[in-house]
Amino acid sequence: MTGLYTRWAIIVGGLLLLAMMTNQQYQRDLSTLSLATVLNSPGTSEPVRIQGMVKSGTLSGDVEQGQATFELIDGPTTLPVEYAGPPLENIRELKTMVLIGQLDKATKTFKAQDTALINNFEFVAAAYLLTVISLCWVLFAMSQRVMVLFKEIKDEKLYEPESDPLAKQE
Amino acid sequence: MLNRFIRYIQRYKGWFGGAAVICLFLGLYTGLLASPADYYQGELVRIMYVHVPLAHTSTLAYSVLFFGSIWYLWKRDPLVDNMCQASAGICALFTALALITGSIWAKPTWNTWWTWDPRLVSFSVLLLILGGYLMLRKLVDDPERGGRYAAILAIVGGIDLPIIKFSVEWWRTLHQPMSFSTRGVAISDDILVPLTLMSIGAWLLFAYMVMVRTQILYLSNLLQAKKGRLFSQTHFSQTSP
Amino acid sequence: MILLPNKNKKVAIIVSILLIAGSLGYLALGNFGENIVYFVTPSEVKAFTPETYTKKVRVGGMVVKGSLKTQPEPVGLTFELTDGAATIPVAFQGIPPDLFKEGQGAVVEGQWNDGQTFRSTMIMAKHSEDYMPMELKRAGVELPKKDFMKTLSP
Repeated sequence: MTGLYTRWAIIVGGLLLLAMMTNQQYQRDLSTLSLATVLNSPGTSEPVRIQGMVKSGTLSGDVEQGQATFELIDGPTTLPVEYAGPPLENIRELKTMVLIGQLDKATKTFKAQDTALINNFEFVAAAYLLTVISLCWVLFAMSQRVMVLFKEIKDEKLYEPESDPLAKQE
Repeated sequence: MLNRFIRYIQRYKGWFGGAAVICLFLGLYTGLLASPADYYQGELVRIMYVHVPLAHTSTLAYSVLFFGSIWYLWKRDPLVDNMCQASAGICALFTALALITGSIWAKPTWNTWWTWDPRLVSFSVLLLILGGYLMLRKLVDDPERGGRYAAILAIVGGIDLPIIKFSVEWWRTLHQPMSFSTRGVAISDDILVPLTLMSIGAWLLFAYMVMVRTQILYLSNLLQAKKGRLFSQTHFSQTSP
Repeated sequence: MILLPNKNKKVAIIVSILLIAGSLGYLALGNFGENIVYFVTPSEVKAFTPETYTKKVRVGGMVVKGSLKTQPEPVGLTFELTDGAATIPVAFQGIPPDLFKEGQGAVVEGQWNDGQTFRSTMIMAKHSEDYMPMELKRAGVELPKKDFMKTLSP
């Protein structure tokens, strides 16, 4: 039965394509740079995404109005941030945040225009991969079992009437 | 009646499988790529698109098992028994996956993999009941008796279903309350689209899987019966003078 | 199919039946609904007697807006937890989970050991059942969700 394998090739191909597209979007829109990388890079006008934790006792400004200054820490590195943008919904001290903005080379501060939530994408990937792979595996095993059964029935000539009267009850 | 319905709908199982694949592909695409992140959970909300469909499909599967078992005890139709056995196995798979994906979702949001929350406990009890059901079927030698005992077990275990459903409303839980309730729908349209697609896909997939599995069980029983008859015939002809 | 000797099979059947009967019994008769309470509320904590001070409990409530204060050394925070009727102060050492936020639910594990402050060793964030993108939230949309205080004492 080539039909079974063709169908599964299409499904697996589609899933791989989807995984590739998701990975591409993740790299483009969600991946973040570490503070050390940003500090050492030549400053560009392109906005970058950085991830770090808001240091305790440094958050000040009017969060509701979208004006704030604080320090971001990431391991041993500390970076002062000046934020001006939409109201900060989710900020607090000791929280890991993603900030979008540029590094001001002269003052060594990060000018942020927007925030995002930390992307725990590995959890999402784990949940999807686990579900998809186990369901596909079970489905494939099932369709293979059907194939084997059909072959056995053919060999056994199950559909032919038996001399045994028991066989007549369907 | 149910027997004829099962035989009739079996012919169209390919359509269910095809529709499930289309729905799930669209759901995966919108869920992973074309839907926004949540304001509070961020990207993690995407785990909901697999966790929630898995969880309520497993309760749907258990409902099929529950009503099928009542029907089996009443009519003693072996095909219905096969269907019950099939949905129990698939229900166990969906329940286990729902528990694991829930655990993956809980770690970054609640800050724990597991906690003794009423919803989590009652849902794990479902997995225990199903494990017992499948073990009972495997271990009782006489398939008819095994089927009868298992059906009784499935019916008794049915009390877990309303407990699961309303555990988040009746008791204090860490798990959030129902998003669909008399209060209205607490999910915005953008997030509802992938959730609906994945849910419909999961129901269709479950229907397809049950049909295939029922067919497998039915055919292998037929084969075994035939082999048994052949064996007894040859045995008889050899031993008789 | 696993082929087991008959004796083992009987044992296995008994074990599986006991397993299920036990779990069902736990659900139905084990006072699952009444006695096994997942968390207590701040009002119930306030009513604790000195004998229960050292007992490890979970407390659920809403983090009072404007009550959150962090300390840099050692890293930790203090905040207040309320159920609408009573409010208790909570002290925690460590880094709280990302979804922990003022005005949202939290379940804290620890002891009400001196009858003054709740010393927590673990914070779990209790999120609500509404889901919407950031743009809608910023536009001020509110979805119909269960009143948080009602989820504390059904």
